[in-house]
Amino acid sequence: MSISTRFWGFFGRNSAKPETDARCAGLGILVAFLAPALLFYAGFAIYPVIRTIYNSFHAIKPHGVVEFVGVSNFTTLLFADATFWKAVGNTALFTIVATILDVFGGLLLALCLFARAPFAGLLRVVWFTPVLMSYVVVGVIWVWIYDYDWGLANAILRWLGLGAFEQSWLGHPSTALWSVLGAHVWKWLGFNMIVFLAALYALPGEVLGAAELDNCGWVAKLVYIIVPMLRATIVNLLVLSFIGKMMVFDLIWIMTGGGPLWSTETVSTYVYKRAFEWNTFDLGYPSAIAVLWFVIILAFIAVMTQLLRQRDKLEF
Amino acid sequence: MHASFAMRCAAALGLVASAFIGGAATRATAQDVTLEVWSHEADEPAKVAFRELAAKNLEKSRPGVKVKITWYEKNPLFAALKTALPAGKGPDVFYLEPDQVEYITAGYIIPLDDLVNWNNIEPWARKVWTHNGKTYGIPQEAYTNELFYNKDQLKQLGVTLPANGQLTQAQFLDLIKKARAANVTPVSQGVGDRPYPGAYIVGEALLRKLGPDDYQKLFTGKLTFADPRVVEVLKWVKELVEAGAYPKNFMTLKLGESHYYFYSKPGSVMLPMGSWYTGRAFVPEEKGGQPANFPIGIMQYPAMDGAACNDCKTSAIGASFAINAASKQKELAAAFLNAMSTPEMGKMWIETVYLQTGIKADVKNFTGPHAAYFTELMDRQKGAKYFIGSPRDMVTGECKDTFIQVLNSGFPGGLLTVDQAVQMMNKSCYKG
Amino acid sequence: MVAGMRFGFEQIRRLPLALFVLLYTVVTGGPFLWVATMSLRTTSEIFKDPYGYPSPAHWEKFADAWTKSNYHTYFWNSVVVVVIAVALVTVIGAMAAHCLARYRFRGNRLMRFLILSGLVLPPQLLILALFQILLDVNLYNTLTGLVVVYVATHIAMTVYILEGFFMQIPQDLFDAARMDGYSDFEIFWRVTMPVGAPAIFTTVTLNFIILWNEFLFAVVLLTDDDKRTLPLGIMHFMGSHQLDVGMVATGLMIAILPVILIYGFFSETMIKGMTAGAVR
Repeated sequence: MSISTRFWGFFGRNSAKPETDARCAGLGILVAFLAPALLFYAGFAIYPVIRTIYNSFHAIKPHGVVEFVGVSNFTTLLFADATFWKAVGNTALFTIVATILDVFGGLLLALCLFARAPFAGLLRVVWFTPVLMSYVVVGVIWVWIYDYDWGLANAILRWLGLGAFEQSWLGHPSTALWSVLGAHVWKWLGFNMIVFLAALYALPGEVLGAAELDNCGWVAKLVYIIVPMLRATIVNLLVLSFIGKMMVFDLIWIMTGGGPLWSTETVSTYVYKRAFEWNTFDLGYPSAIAVLWFVIILAFIAVMTQLLRQRDKLEF
Repeated sequence: MHASFAMRCAAALGLVASAFIGGAATRATAQDVTLEVWSHEADEPAKVAFRELAAKNLEKSRPGVKVKITWYEKNPLFAALKTALPAGKGPDVFYLEPDQVEYITAGYIIPLDDLVNWNNIEPWARKVWTHNGKTYGIPQEAYTNELFYNKDQLKQLGVTLPANGQLTQAQFLDLIKKARAANVTPVSQGVGDRPYPGAYIVGEALLRKLGPDDYQKLFTGKLTFADPRVVEVLKWVKELVEAGAYPKNFMTLKLGESHYYFYSKPGSVMLPMGSWYTGRAFVPEEKGGQPANFPIGIMQYPAMDGAACNDCKTSAIGASFAINAASKQKELAAAFLNAMSTPEMGKMWIETVYLQTGIKADVKNFTGPHAAYFTELMDRQKGAKYFIGSPRDMVTGECKDTFIQVLNSGFPGGLLTVDQAVQMMNKSCYKG
Repeated sequence: MVAGMRFGFEQIRRLPLALFVLLYTVVTGGPFLWVATMSLRTTSEIFKDPYGYPSPAHWEKFADAWTKSNYHTYFWNSVVVVVIAVALVTVIGAMAAHCLARYRFRGNRLMRFLILSGLVLPPQLLILALFQILLDVNLYNTLTGLVVVYVATHIAMTVYILEGFFMQIPQDLFDAARMDGYSDFEIFWRVTMPVGAPAIFTTVTLNFIILWNEFLFAVVLLTDDDKRTLPLGIMHFMGSHQLDVGMVATGLMIAILPVILIYGFFSETMIKGMTAGAVR
């Protein structure tokens, strides 16, 4: 536990320092304002992170037995755990594709409404509805939609005379991940649409008006004017969506539980499985997975922010 | 560790927050004693009634005691247990199955040898729960792996069973093909929410082909899956799969749905299942149960060519109950286990659940609406050589995960070749 | 809308747009409608024709689902947990945001970085340790514990949104308040809070929706049936009505309806709340 106490000591000194600058508020005031947030945050967000890191170098067994195992969790993970890498691959695929679909699908929807589609005001509200639903609700509905016998997906195919394409959507490794992804995108498209819509309405009207006068087609307008002007929003949404999807758990857990043949196993479901489904009761190894994954996420975020936004930083 | 700064903060915050929430979280500390029980099989009314009656009996014999049974579905139950037990929490008594030895090794359940009245329990059933000379669970449900079929369907396909109810492996393959040709799903099995149904046919075939000893070796890492006999069995199963034995939605079909598929809609010829099939099937039709006049029959799993033991058959213990090592009222918990295991309760089990049991019950004159069914079930036990335990009782860790993904789902689901299956199983299970 | 349809030519060009819009509306709304029809039909009716119109409509199924399950407990638990957590996280977050936005002090940037770093903490990184920690402090399997975790994990987003808004409040207001002899706390309570009300409303909505739907923390940190929140309750309900698709649909509808109802009344607020972190 020495790691965490040392950390807290460091932390305490720092939060005590600001008193030197008394120009605006005394230490007491600052502490009074910040302390509640910091206490909750430190006790139940930062401390757990540290404890997880600590766990990842140990085997955490039942009845409080803690064994130091060095980096062996990590070496196993990196070199001997095929399921983990399968999960990483799936998560990466899911994240990249879902992010792109989400963001550009959302842009497309926003443009539809921005182009003064009929009932745009009402549709904006309707299209947003799935965003408000819990993953449990969305998951169950989509499991039904994908049901082989009476699900909507196959029913529509049969109705269209495309019965040959009917599938056990969640039951085959080649379709399962995409099917879950479809449900995920369905839930979140409305979110991106709203954000884009807000950004579109904030665009200076003259520019679009000028383009209209030039008899500029929608496609040209989109490519040459709208997308460049929405760059900041696009980048922002890409990052947000990316982070969210790298942590995807609920929907997959509810819809497939990681199967079939590990084809929808993501890092999050694997962490959960190793912690609570496998017969080991060991919390060390799953902690190592979580830590390694967090490092990868951080690296990704760093790279993405570097690549996408030289000018605008993550916060404001 | 407990004195660290963060802990104290956390505790302080907890106090603050609990002041807000008030008594919402802390009730049930009155003078009455409450025994907490968590049980699976929320969706099987006969078992619910059985256990609720045992609870009521205990409450009657011990005034002031209240037995509170929380009903779960299987996966959420074990998810809850796996978080509650390491926490030193959880119910006094809970449902458990004998493959879950990790609860024993982790020390989460206690030996029942001196707590429970074992005179009421069949010795062979007790043995399943005995590890290193101590018994950790009280076996309630016993079952055999059976192959249920629709008598009318079989007749329509022009297939007649021999007197012993066992087709050969070639005849069985032929039956599958005939059913497919007649546009009927041969076997309505699904692995949507369980880690074992897909392995019924392959498991029973392996047991017969290898005989009990080698079968056990296979699943305990002492026999390779590349053994020619194993490969022969897998090739046969692959033929079944390619002949369309399983439904298209095999991978996602849930356990309950596979029952409904068999006896109601769309209907199938066969359903391999533990004899606990009855728990879901023998409920009123409007609740999703089997129609009253459904022509159910039971056949033996097919005889394998060159088999070591075609009379072999899996018998296993299912629903069992164990006592939480963290329980503060172990004696009372044991009293509840005893209340569930009296000969009268055993009789009730057989007469209402229509299923074998680990409780000693003397049922000679069997009556009731499903008497014919139970008689047929007993007929199928004649001359059987039991292998006690199912594959999932024998595999653990990575091997178990691979068993679930490969032999239970990927292979019967048609996603893997024989070679791939052999290789994947060996990689995770075979210890050379 | 009319302005966009100036010419006949324009209208023809708009036909694909209208069709697409219609199609997507069906895609979003269709599944809900489907579940709604199923929720009023019995399972045997559904299996006969999964897409039939509910006639007769079995309204009694709703009463059935409600009384035969523990829905009222789940519902109440969710209300208690979410209301308290949202109230706490709002007040605490607003205080911190106010402090970070208004006062210049050494360590300001560090504090801000520390708190905002919570934005990228995946729940999976926390959950296993939170499980141990709540055990250590005896808050495991309590609603209190869940509230604490919810507050801790949603402070970052709350501070992030509120701080951005509070920063835009003109300094003059505060200077004037100070001249009037307001104490620091009064400034927070009487100036920042009222002026920042729209932003606060936004975070309240956002946190409310997210927490109302939260699943992972709840599934790991709660075990008792009578402590389950609504998302866990729905899962449980489904488990015990495996074969009864009609009943599960009714159960789902019970979870969906309140959201839709509230959304009907407060759609703009909710849209604004949910997208607050992204629209800036």
